[in-house]
Amino acid sequence: MSGLKRPGGELASRPLHFFWIVDCSGSMHGEKIGTVNHAIQSTIPEMVSAAENNPNAQLMVRTLKFSTGASWVTSSPVNVEDFAWDDLDAEGVTDLGKAFELLSAQLTIPPMSDRALPPVLVLLSDGQPTDDYKKSLAELKKLPWGKKAVKIAISIGQDADDGVLEEFTGNKELVLQANNAAALTKMIKWASTAASLVSAPASISMDEETTAEGGANPVIVDMGGRIPDLDDIQEDDVW
Amino acid sequence: MIRSVFGESVQGASHIRSGKECQDSLKKVEKDENTVILAVADGHGSDSCPYSKTGSYVAVNVFCKILGDYLATYEGQPELLLTFLNREGDTKVAQAIDAEWKRRILKIHANCKREVVLDADLNKDKGAIYKMYGSTLLGLVITKDFLFAFQLGDGDIVKVSEAGVQNVIEAERILGTETYSLSKDQSWKNAITFVKKEDEVVGRSVMYMLSSDGLANSFKNDDEFKKTCNDYYALLNEHGAKAVSDHLKTWLAETSELGCGDDITALFVYYNQQESK
Repeated sequence: MSGLKRPGGELASRPLHFFWIVDCSGSMHGEKIGTVNHAIQSTIPEMVSAAENNPNAQLMVRTLKFSTGASWVTSSPVNVEDFAWDDLDAEGVTDLGKAFELLSAQLTIPPMSDRALPPVLVLLSDGQPTDDYKKSLAELKKLPWGKKAVKIAISIGQDADDGVLEEFTGNKELVLQANNAAALTKMIKWASTAASLVSAPASISMDEETTAEGGANPVIVDMGGRIPDLDDIQEDDVW
Repeated sequence: MIRSVFGESVQGASHIRSGKECQDSLKKVEKDENTVILAVADGHGSDSCPYSKTGSYVAVNVFCKILGDYLATYEGQPELLLTFLNREGDTKVAQAIDAEWKRRILKIHANCKREVVLDADLNKDKGAIYKMYGSTLLGLVITKDFLFAFQLGDGDIVKVSEAGVQNVIEAERILGTETYSLSKDQSWKNAITFVKKEDEVVGRSVMYMLSSDGLANSFKNDDEFKKTCNDYYALLNEHGAKAVSDHLKTWLAETSELGCGDDITALFVYYNQQESK
Protein backbone atom coordinates (compact mmCIF):
# COMPACT_ATOMS: atom_id res chain seq x y z
CA MET A 1 0.00 0.00 0.00
CA SER A 2 3.01 2.26 0.54
CA GLY A 3 3.43 2.60 -3.24
CA LEU A 4 0.21 4.50 -3.82
CA LYS A 5 0.84 7.38 -6.18
CA ARG A 6 -0.51 10.84 -5.49
CA PRO A 7 -3.78 11.26 -7.35
CA GLY A 8 -4.42 14.27 -9.40
CA GLY A 9 -4.11 16.27 -12.55
CA GLU A 10 -1.33 18.58 -13.59
CA LEU A 11 -0.09 20.82 -10.79
CA ALA A 12 1.06 24.36 -11.49
CA SER A 13 2.15 27.43 -9.59
CA ARG A 14 -0.13 30.44 -10.06
CA PRO A 15 0.89 32.88 -12.79
CA LEU A 16 1.52 36.47 -11.78
CA HIS A 17 1.70 38.93 -14.66
CA PHE A 18 3.71 42.09 -14.12
CA PHE A 19 3.49 44.92 -16.67
CA TRP A 20 5.82 47.89 -17.04
CA ILE A 21 3.89 50.55 -18.99
CA VAL A 22 6.27 53.30 -19.95
CA ASP A 23 5.63 56.77 -21.35
CA CYS A 24 8.17 57.24 -24.16
CA SER A 25 6.90 60.61 -25.40
CA GLY A 26 9.31 63.38 -26.32
CA SER A 27 9.15 65.03 -22.90
CA MET A 28 10.72 61.92 -21.37
CA HIS A 29 13.81 62.41 -23.52
CA GLY A 30 17.17 62.63 -21.79
CA GLU A 31 17.62 62.08 -18.07
CA LYS A 32 14.09 60.85 -17.42
CA ILE A 33 14.09 57.94 -19.87
CA GLY A 34 17.71 57.27 -19.00
CA THR A 35 16.81 56.93 -15.33
CA VAL A 36 13.84 54.69 -16.17
CA ASN A 37 16.05 52.44 -18.28
CA HIS A 38 18.72 52.20 -15.62
CA ALA A 39 16.36 51.79 -12.68
CA ILE A 40 14.20 49.06 -14.23
CA GLN A 41 17.28 47.25 -15.45
CA SER A 42 18.66 47.29 -11.92
CA THR A 43 15.47 45.89 -10.37
CA ILE A 44 15.59 42.70 -12.44
CA PRO A 45 18.00 40.75 -10.20
CA GLU A 46 15.90 41.64 -7.16
CA MET A 47 12.71 40.55 -8.89
CA VAL A 48 14.37 37.28 -9.87
CA SER A 49 15.53 36.76 -6.33
CA ALA A 50 12.06 37.50 -4.92
CA ALA A 51 10.54 35.08 -7.43
CA GLU A 52 13.00 32.38 -6.40
CA ASN A 53 11.87 32.80 -2.83
CA ASN A 54 8.31 32.04 -3.85
CA PRO A 55 8.27 29.09 -6.23
CA ASN A 56 4.48 28.88 -5.88
CA ALA A 57 3.99 31.97 -8.03
CA GLN A 58 5.22 32.14 -11.60
CA LEU A 59 6.27 35.73 -12.22
CA MET A 60 5.85 36.75 -15.87
CA VAL A 61 7.04 40.19 -16.95
CA ARG A 62 6.46 42.30 -20.03
CA THR A 63 6.89 45.88 -21.18
CA LEU A 64 4.47 48.14 -23.02
CA LYS A 65 5.60 51.52 -24.35
CA PHE A 66 3.51 54.39 -25.59
CA SER A 67 4.28 57.65 -27.36
CA THR A 68 2.83 58.20 -30.85
CA GLY A 69 0.83 54.99 -30.70
CA ALA A 70 1.66 52.11 -28.37
CA SER A 71 3.42 48.80 -28.79
CA TRP A 72 4.68 45.80 -26.84
CA VAL A 73 8.40 45.78 -26.28
CA THR A 74 8.04 42.23 -25.01
CA SER A 75 5.62 40.56 -27.38
CA SER A 76 4.54 37.82 -24.97
CA PRO A 77 4.89 37.26 -21.22
CA VAL A 78 8.43 36.30 -20.23
CA ASN A 79 9.49 34.40 -17.15
CA VAL A 80 11.30 36.88 -14.90
CA GLU A 81 14.47 34.78 -15.06
CA ASP A 82 14.51 35.30 -18.83
CA PHE A 83 13.40 38.93 -18.82
CA ALA A 84 15.85 41.43 -20.26
CA TRP A 85 15.28 45.15 -20.38
CA ASP A 86 15.67 46.79 -23.78
CA ASP A 87 16.58 50.45 -23.37
CA LEU A 88 13.75 52.68 -24.52
CA ASP A 89 14.01 55.93 -26.49
CA ALA A 90 11.68 58.87 -26.11
CA GLU A 91 9.99 60.83 -28.89
CA GLY A 92 6.49 61.65 -30.06
CA VAL A 93 3.21 62.35 -28.25
CA THR A 94 1.46 60.64 -25.33
CA ASP A 95 -1.10 58.13 -26.64
CA LEU A 96 -1.99 56.66 -23.27
CA GLY A 97 -5.37 55.48 -24.55
CA LYS A 98 -3.65 53.28 -27.11
CA ALA A 99 -1.62 51.69 -24.33
CA PHE A 100 -4.80 50.92 -22.37
CA GLU A 101 -6.28 49.27 -25.47
CA LEU A 102 -3.30 46.95 -25.84
CA LEU A 103 -3.37 46.21 -22.13
CA SER A 104 -7.08 45.34 -22.22
CA ALA A 105 -6.49 42.81 -24.97
CA GLN A 106 -4.00 41.02 -22.72
CA LEU A 107 -6.10 41.16 -19.55
CA THR A 108 -9.07 39.32 -21.00
CA ILE A 109 -9.65 35.63 -20.21
CA PRO A 110 -8.01 34.09 -22.24
CA PRO A 111 -5.13 34.88 -22.69
CA MET A 112 -5.18 35.50 -18.92
CA SER A 113 -6.01 32.51 -16.76
CA ASP A 114 -8.84 32.72 -14.22
CA ARG A 115 -6.59 31.11 -11.59
CA ALA A 116 -3.84 33.71 -11.90
CA LEU A 117 -2.81 35.99 -9.08
CA PRO A 118 -3.89 39.62 -9.52
CA PRO A 119 -1.73 41.20 -12.23
CA VAL A 120 0.45 44.18 -11.38
CA LEU A 121 0.34 47.19 -13.70
CA VAL A 122 2.99 49.86 -13.20
CA LEU A 123 2.45 52.98 -15.29
CA LEU A 124 5.23 55.57 -15.59
CA SER A 125 4.36 58.93 -17.15
CA ASP A 126 5.53 62.53 -17.08
CA GLY A 127 2.84 64.23 -19.09
CA GLN A 128 -0.73 64.57 -20.18
CA PRO A 129 -2.41 62.12 -22.55
CA THR A 130 -2.76 63.45 -26.08
CA ASP A 131 -5.44 60.97 -27.12
CA ASP A 132 -8.87 60.15 -25.72
CA TYR A 133 -7.76 57.77 -22.98
CA LYS A 134 -11.01 57.82 -20.99
CA LYS A 135 -12.94 55.35 -23.10
CA SER A 136 -10.12 52.80 -23.23
CA LEU A 137 -9.43 53.22 -19.50
CA ALA A 138 -13.11 52.58 -18.79
CA GLU A 139 -12.96 49.43 -20.96
CA LEU A 140 -9.86 48.28 -19.11
CA LYS A 141 -11.49 48.79 -15.73
CA LYS A 142 -14.59 46.87 -16.82
CA LEU A 143 -12.57 43.71 -17.38
CA PRO A 144 -12.56 41.29 -14.44
CA TRP A 145 -8.76 41.35 -14.30
CA GLY A 146 -8.76 45.07 -15.01
CA LYS A 147 -10.74 45.57 -11.81
CA LYS A 148 -8.63 43.21 -9.76
CA ALA A 149 -5.23 44.31 -11.02
CA VAL A 150 -2.91 46.11 -8.65
CA LYS A 151 -2.44 49.45 -10.36
CA ILE A 152 0.49 51.66 -9.47
CA ALA A 153 1.48 54.89 -11.21
CA ILE A 154 4.74 56.78 -11.01
CA SER A 155 4.26 60.45 -11.70
CA ILE A 156 7.49 61.77 -13.19
CA GLY A 157 8.24 65.46 -12.80
CA GLN A 158 5.98 68.37 -12.02
CA ASP A 159 4.17 68.41 -15.38
CA ALA A 160 2.67 64.96 -14.96
CA ASP A 161 -1.12 64.87 -14.79
CA ASP A 162 -1.73 63.23 -11.42
CA GLY A 163 -5.47 63.32 -11.98
CA VAL A 164 -5.15 60.97 -14.94
CA LEU A 165 -2.80 58.70 -13.02
CA GLU A 166 -5.21 58.61 -10.11
CA GLU A 167 -8.01 57.65 -12.49
CA PHE A 168 -5.83 54.73 -13.51
CA THR A 169 -4.88 53.54 -10.02
CA GLY A 170 -8.24 54.33 -8.40
CA ASN A 171 -6.26 55.31 -5.36
CA LYS A 172 -4.34 58.51 -4.65
CA GLU A 173 -1.84 56.73 -2.43
CA LEU A 174 -0.69 54.60 -5.31
CA VAL A 175 0.31 57.57 -7.45
CA LEU A 176 3.96 57.81 -6.47
CA GLN A 177 5.74 61.12 -6.93
CA ALA A 178 9.14 61.14 -8.57
CA ASN A 179 10.46 64.63 -9.14
CA ASN A 180 14.08 63.75 -9.60
CA ALA A 181 16.27 60.83 -10.61
CA ALA A 182 16.79 59.55 -7.07
CA ALA A 183 13.07 59.55 -6.33
CA LEU A 184 12.26 57.87 -9.65
CA THR A 185 14.79 55.13 -9.00
CA LYS A 186 13.37 54.57 -5.53
CA MET A 187 9.75 54.44 -6.73
CA ILE A 188 10.57 52.04 -9.56
CA LYS A 189 12.35 49.82 -7.09
CA TRP A 190 9.38 49.89 -4.73
CA ALA A 191 6.88 49.22 -7.51
CA SER A 192 8.88 46.18 -8.57
CA THR A 193 8.36 44.68 -5.11
CA ALA A 194 4.59 44.78 -5.51
CA ALA A 195 4.84 41.41 -7.21
CA SER A 196 6.13 39.75 -4.07
CA LEU A 197 3.35 41.33 -1.99
CA VAL A 198 0.71 40.05 -4.38
CA SER A 199 2.22 36.58 -4.68
CA ALA A 200 1.56 35.55 -1.07
CA PRO A 201 -1.29 33.05 -0.90
CA ALA A 202 -3.17 34.97 1.80
CA SER A 203 -6.79 35.76 1.04
CA ILE A 204 -8.33 39.18 1.30
CA SER A 205 -11.84 39.72 2.54
CA MET A 206 -14.06 40.93 -0.27
CA ASP A 207 -14.86 44.60 0.27
CA GLU A 208 -17.94 46.00 -1.32
CA GLU A 209 -16.10 49.07 -2.56
CA THR A 210 -13.58 47.00 -4.51
CA THR A 211 -16.34 45.36 -6.50
CA ALA A 212 -17.74 48.65 -7.66
CA GLU A 213 -16.80 49.79 -11.13
CA GLY A 214 -13.53 51.67 -10.92
CA GLY A 215 -13.45 50.88 -7.21
CA ALA A 216 -10.50 51.26 -4.91
CA ASN A 217 -7.38 49.31 -5.63
CA PRO A 218 -8.01 46.14 -3.60
CA VAL A 219 -4.46 45.45 -2.58
CA ILE A 220 -3.93 48.82 -0.93
CA VAL A 221 -5.18 47.16 2.24
CA ASP A 222 -1.98 45.24 2.61
CA MET A 223 0.33 47.79 1.01
CA GLY A 224 -0.55 50.63 3.33
CA GLY A 225 2.42 51.89 5.26
CA ARG A 226 4.92 50.34 2.89
CA ILE A 227 4.99 53.10 0.32
CA PRO A 228 8.37 54.82 0.42
CA ASP A 229 8.65 58.19 2.09
CA LEU A 230 9.84 60.98 -0.20
CA ASP A 231 11.40 62.77 2.76
CA ASP A 232 14.08 60.08 2.77
CA ILE A 233 15.32 61.24 -0.61
CA GLN A 234 18.10 63.81 -0.40
CA GLU A 235 18.28 65.45 -3.80
CA ASP A 236 17.68 69.06 -4.74
CA ASP A 237 17.28 68.79 -8.51
CA VAL A 238 13.64 68.81 -9.49
CA TRP A 239 12.25 67.96 -12.94
CA MET B 1 -23.78 1.42 2.60
CA ILE B 2 -20.57 1.65 4.59
CA ARG B 3 -19.53 5.19 5.46
CA SER B 4 -15.97 6.44 5.91
CA VAL B 5 -15.16 9.97 7.03
CA PHE B 6 -11.63 11.32 7.04
CA GLY B 7 -9.67 14.44 6.21
CA GLU B 8 -6.47 16.39 6.70
CA SER B 9 -5.25 19.97 6.85
CA VAL B 10 -1.69 20.71 5.81
CA GLN B 11 0.41 23.80 6.23
CA GLY B 12 1.03 25.35 2.81
CA ALA B 13 4.50 25.42 1.31
CA SER B 14 4.51 29.24 1.42
CA HIS B 15 3.51 29.19 5.08
CA ILE B 16 6.25 26.70 5.88
CA ARG B 17 8.77 29.09 4.31
CA SER B 18 7.39 32.09 6.21
CA GLY B 19 6.83 30.21 9.47
CA LYS B 20 3.10 30.91 9.49
CA GLU B 21 0.89 28.18 10.94
CA CYS B 22 -1.80 26.50 8.86
CA GLN B 23 -4.85 28.76 8.81
CA ASP B 24 -7.35 26.04 7.81
CA SER B 25 -9.56 24.01 10.14
CA LEU B 26 -11.78 21.00 9.69
CA LYS B 27 -14.33 19.24 11.82
CA LYS B 28 -16.39 16.10 11.38
CA VAL B 29 -19.21 14.96 13.61
CA GLU B 30 -20.59 11.48 13.04
CA LYS B 31 -23.82 11.78 14.97
CA ASP B 32 -25.12 8.30 14.21
CA GLU B 33 -24.87 5.70 11.47
CA ASN B 34 -26.98 7.83 9.15
CA THR B 35 -25.96 11.36 9.98
CA VAL B 36 -22.70 13.20 9.51
CA ILE B 37 -21.82 16.89 9.76
CA LEU B 38 -18.68 18.15 8.04
CA ALA B 39 -17.07 21.58 7.98
CA VAL B 40 -13.94 23.12 6.48
CA ALA B 41 -12.84 26.72 7.01
CA ASP B 42 -9.96 28.69 5.54
CA GLY B 43 -8.58 31.56 7.61
CA HIS B 44 -7.44 34.40 5.38
CA GLY B 45 -3.88 34.48 6.68
CA SER B 46 -3.11 38.01 5.54
CA ASP B 47 -1.27 40.52 7.73
CA SER B 48 -4.55 42.19 8.61
CA CYS B 49 -6.01 38.88 9.87
CA PRO B 50 -3.48 37.78 12.50
CA TYR B 51 -5.93 35.48 14.30
CA SER B 52 -7.55 33.86 11.28
CA LYS B 53 -6.54 30.38 12.46
CA THR B 54 -8.79 30.98 15.44
CA GLY B 55 -11.44 32.34 13.08
CA SER B 56 -11.45 29.16 11.01
CA TYR B 57 -11.45 26.97 14.12
CA VAL B 58 -14.47 28.82 15.48
CA ALA B 59 -16.20 28.63 12.09
CA VAL B 60 -16.11 24.83 11.82
CA ASN B 61 -17.25 24.45 15.41
CA VAL B 62 -20.11 26.90 14.93
CA PHE B 63 -21.34 25.09 11.83
CA CYS B 64 -21.33 21.69 13.51
CA LYS B 65 -22.99 23.05 16.66
CA ILE B 66 -25.75 24.94 14.90
CA LEU B 67 -26.59 22.22 12.41
CA GLY B 68 -26.39 19.66 15.21
CA ASP B 69 -28.90 21.72 17.18
CA TYR B 70 -31.27 21.87 14.21
CA LEU B 71 -31.04 18.11 13.80
CA ALA B 72 -31.82 17.66 17.49
CA THR B 73 -34.71 20.12 17.42
CA TYR B 74 -36.31 18.41 14.44
CA GLU B 75 -35.49 14.85 15.52
CA GLY B 76 -38.06 12.46 14.05
CA GLN B 77 -39.35 15.19 11.72
CA PRO B 78 -36.99 15.11 8.77
CA GLU B 79 -39.60 16.48 6.36
CA LEU B 80 -40.07 19.54 8.55
CA LEU B 81 -36.31 20.10 8.81
CA LEU B 82 -35.95 19.65 5.08
CA THR B 83 -38.63 22.24 4.47
CA PHE B 84 -37.01 24.62 6.95
CA LEU B 85 -33.56 24.27 5.38
CA ASN B 86 -35.03 24.70 1.93
CA ARG B 87 -36.81 27.89 2.89
CA GLU B 88 -34.45 29.33 5.45
CA GLY B 89 -31.05 27.81 4.70
CA ASP B 90 -29.55 30.94 3.17
CA THR B 91 -31.36 33.27 5.55
CA LYS B 92 -32.07 32.07 9.09
CA VAL B 93 -29.47 29.29 9.15
CA ALA B 94 -26.84 31.54 7.60
CA GLN B 95 -27.79 34.35 9.99
CA ALA B 96 -27.48 32.00 12.96
CA ILE B 97 -24.00 30.93 11.84
CA ASP B 98 -22.94 34.53 11.20
CA ALA B 99 -24.20 35.73 14.59
CA GLU B 100 -22.75 32.83 16.58
CA TRP B 101 -19.34 33.13 14.90
CA LYS B 102 -19.23 36.84 15.73
CA ARG B 103 -20.41 36.26 19.31
CA ARG B 104 -17.70 33.67 19.91
CA ILE B 105 -15.01 35.82 18.27
CA LEU B 106 -15.77 38.77 20.56
CA LYS B 107 -15.69 36.46 23.56
CA ILE B 108 -12.37 34.91 22.58
CA HIS B 109 -10.91 38.31 21.82
CA ALA B 110 -11.89 39.59 25.24
CA ASN B 111 -10.77 36.42 27.05
CA CYS B 112 -7.37 36.57 25.40
CA LYS B 113 -7.09 40.24 26.36
CA ARG B 114 -6.15 41.15 22.81
CA GLU B 115 -5.96 44.74 21.67
CA VAL B 116 -9.24 46.64 21.82
CA VAL B 117 -9.75 48.57 18.61
CA LEU B 118 -11.78 51.75 18.91
CA ASP B 119 -13.75 53.47 16.19
CA ALA B 120 -13.92 57.23 15.58
CA ASP B 121 -16.45 57.62 18.43
CA LEU B 122 -14.17 55.68 20.77
CA ASN B 123 -16.55 52.72 20.86
CA LYS B 124 -15.30 49.19 20.47
CA ASP B 125 -14.83 48.65 16.73
CA LYS B 126 -16.33 45.19 16.39
CA GLY B 127 -15.84 45.14 12.62
CA ALA B 128 -12.11 45.65 13.05
CA ILE B 129 -11.99 42.82 15.58
CA TYR B 130 -13.90 40.41 13.32
CA LYS B 131 -11.53 41.27 10.49
CA MET B 132 -8.56 40.01 12.51
CA TYR B 133 -10.21 36.57 12.57
CA GLY B 134 -11.46 36.49 8.94
CA SER B 135 -12.38 33.08 7.58
CA THR B 136 -14.45 31.29 4.97
CA LEU B 137 -16.74 28.36 5.75
CA LEU B 138 -17.87 25.24 3.90
CA GLY B 139 -20.35 22.85 5.50
CA LEU B 140 -22.18 19.67 4.61
CA VAL B 141 -24.82 17.67 6.45
CA ILE B 142 -25.80 14.25 5.17
CA THR B 143 -28.67 12.29 6.70
CA LYS B 144 -30.60 9.33 5.35
CA ASP B 145 -33.32 11.77 4.33
CA PHE B 146 -31.48 14.72 2.82
CA LEU B 147 -28.26 16.55 2.09
CA PHE B 148 -27.63 20.17 3.10
CA ALA B 149 -24.61 22.13 1.84
CA PHE B 150 -23.42 25.57 2.89
CA GLN B 151 -20.73 27.81 1.42
CA LEU B 152 -19.51 31.25 2.42
CA GLY B 153 -16.38 32.27 0.56
CA ASP B 154 -14.05 30.25 -1.60
CA GLY B 155 -13.41 26.51 -1.61
CA ASP B 156 -15.21 23.57 -3.17
CA ILE B 157 -17.82 21.00 -2.24
CA VAL B 158 -17.91 18.26 -4.85
CA LYS B 159 -19.69 14.96 -5.28
CA VAL B 160 -18.11 12.14 -7.27
CA SER B 161 -19.88 8.98 -8.28
CA GLU B 162 -19.92 6.73 -11.30
CA ALA B 163 -21.92 9.51 -12.92
CA GLY B 164 -18.85 11.78 -12.73
CA VAL B 165 -17.80 14.89 -10.81
CA GLN B 166 -20.28 17.58 -9.94
CA ASN B 167 -20.14 20.68 -7.78
CA VAL B 168 -22.65 20.38 -4.97
CA ILE B 169 -22.71 24.17 -4.79
CA GLU B 170 -21.93 26.39 -7.76
CA ALA B 171 -20.32 29.27 -5.92
CA GLU B 172 -19.51 32.60 -7.48
CA ARG B 173 -15.97 32.49 -8.79
CA ILE B 174 -13.98 35.49 -7.57
CA LEU B 175 -10.74 36.20 -9.37
CA GLY B 176 -7.47 36.68 -7.56
CA THR B 177 -7.12 36.40 -3.81
CA GLU B 178 -10.34 38.00 -2.61
CA THR B 179 -13.07 35.99 -0.95
CA TYR B 180 -16.28 36.44 0.95
CA SER B 181 -15.69 36.24 4.65
CA LEU B 182 -17.52 35.59 7.91
CA SER B 183 -15.83 38.71 9.21
CA LYS B 184 -17.89 41.06 7.04
CA ASP B 185 -20.97 42.83 8.31
CA GLN B 186 -24.01 40.69 7.43
CA SER B 187 -21.77 38.03 5.95
CA TRP B 188 -24.77 35.70 5.80
CA LYS B 189 -25.93 37.54 2.68
CA ASN B 190 -23.03 35.97 0.78
CA ALA B 191 -23.82 32.44 1.91
CA ILE B 192 -25.06 29.94 -0.66
CA THR B 193 -26.92 26.82 0.39
CA PHE B 194 -28.20 23.72 -1.35
CA VAL B 195 -30.70 21.17 -0.13
CA LYS B 196 -31.52 17.86 -1.75
CA LYS B 197 -33.90 15.21 -0.60
CA GLU B 198 -32.43 11.75 -0.11
CA ASP B 199 -29.36 11.86 -2.31
CA GLU B 200 -29.55 8.79 -4.54
CA VAL B 201 -26.32 6.87 -4.90
CA VAL B 202 -25.58 6.12 -8.54
CA GLY B 203 -23.66 2.87 -8.81
CA ARG B 204 -21.87 1.19 -5.95
CA SER B 205 -20.25 4.17 -4.27
CA VAL B 206 -20.23 7.93 -3.85
CA MET B 207 -17.68 10.41 -2.50
CA TYR B 208 -18.17 13.94 -1.20
CA MET B 209 -15.20 16.22 -0.72
CA LEU B 210 -14.97 19.61 0.96
CA SER B 211 -11.72 21.38 0.16
CA SER B 212 -10.16 24.75 0.82
CA ASP B 213 -9.23 26.80 -2.24
CA GLY B 214 -5.58 25.81 -1.88
CA LEU B 215 -6.44 22.48 -3.47
CA ALA B 216 -8.18 23.72 -6.62
CA ASN B 217 -5.69 26.60 -7.00
CA SER B 218 -2.83 24.11 -7.15
CA PHE B 219 -4.00 22.67 -10.44
CA LYS B 220 -3.41 24.06 -13.88
CA ASN B 221 -7.12 24.56 -14.49
CA ASP B 222 -10.56 23.39 -13.44
CA ASP B 223 -10.40 20.28 -15.62
CA GLU B 224 -7.25 19.15 -13.83
CA PHE B 225 -8.94 19.74 -10.48
CA LYS B 226 -11.91 17.64 -11.55
CA LYS B 227 -9.56 14.94 -12.77
CA THR B 228 -8.05 14.95 -9.30
CA CYS B 229 -11.47 14.48 -7.70
CA ASN B 230 -12.08 11.54 -10.00
CA ASP B 231 -8.68 10.07 -9.16
CA TYR B 232 -9.42 10.23 -5.43
CA TYR B 233 -12.72 8.50 -6.06
CA ALA B 234 -11.05 5.78 -8.12
CA LEU B 235 -8.45 5.24 -5.41
CA LEU B 236 -11.15 4.94 -2.78
CA ASN B 237 -12.94 2.34 -4.87
CA GLU B 238 -9.78 0.42 -5.55
CA HIS B 239 -7.84 0.65 -2.30
CA GLY B 240 -10.40 1.71 0.31
CA ALA B 241 -10.71 4.68 2.63
CA LYS B 242 -7.94 3.70 5.02
CA ALA B 243 -5.30 3.60 2.31
CA VAL B 244 -6.31 7.02 1.00
CA SER B 245 -6.57 8.42 4.52
CA ASP B 246 -3.10 7.12 5.39
CA HIS B 247 -1.55 8.88 2.39
CA LEU B 248 -3.65 12.01 2.36
CA LYS B 249 -1.41 14.28 4.40
CA THR B 250 1.63 13.52 2.26
CA TRP B 251 -0.31 14.01 -0.95
CA LEU B 252 -1.78 17.32 0.13
CA ALA B 253 1.63 18.60 1.24
CA GLU B 254 3.10 17.67 -2.15
CA THR B 255 0.18 19.31 -3.90
CA SER B 256 0.78 22.57 -2.05
CA GLU B 257 4.52 22.45 -2.67
CA LEU B 258 4.18 21.88 -6.41
CA GLY B 259 1.07 24.04 -6.72
CA CYS B 260 -0.04 27.33 -5.26
CA GLY B 261 1.73 27.08 -1.88
CA ASP B 262 -1.41 27.73 0.15
CA ASP B 263 -2.66 25.65 3.08
CA ILE B 264 -4.82 22.78 1.88
CA THR B 265 -7.64 20.97 3.62
CA ALA B 266 -9.61 18.09 2.16
CA LEU B 267 -12.39 16.37 4.08
CA PHE B 268 -14.03 13.28 2.60
CA VAL B 269 -17.11 11.24 3.23
CA TYR B 270 -17.21 8.06 1.19
CA TYR B 271 -20.05 5.58 0.94
CA ASN B 272 -19.67 2.17 -0.61
CA GLN B 273 -21.47 -1.11 -0.55
CA GLN B 274 -18.51 -3.13 0.65
CA GLU B 275 -16.69 -2.98 3.93
CA SER B 276 -14.02 -0.33 3.59
CA LYS B 277 -10.55 -1.90 3.10
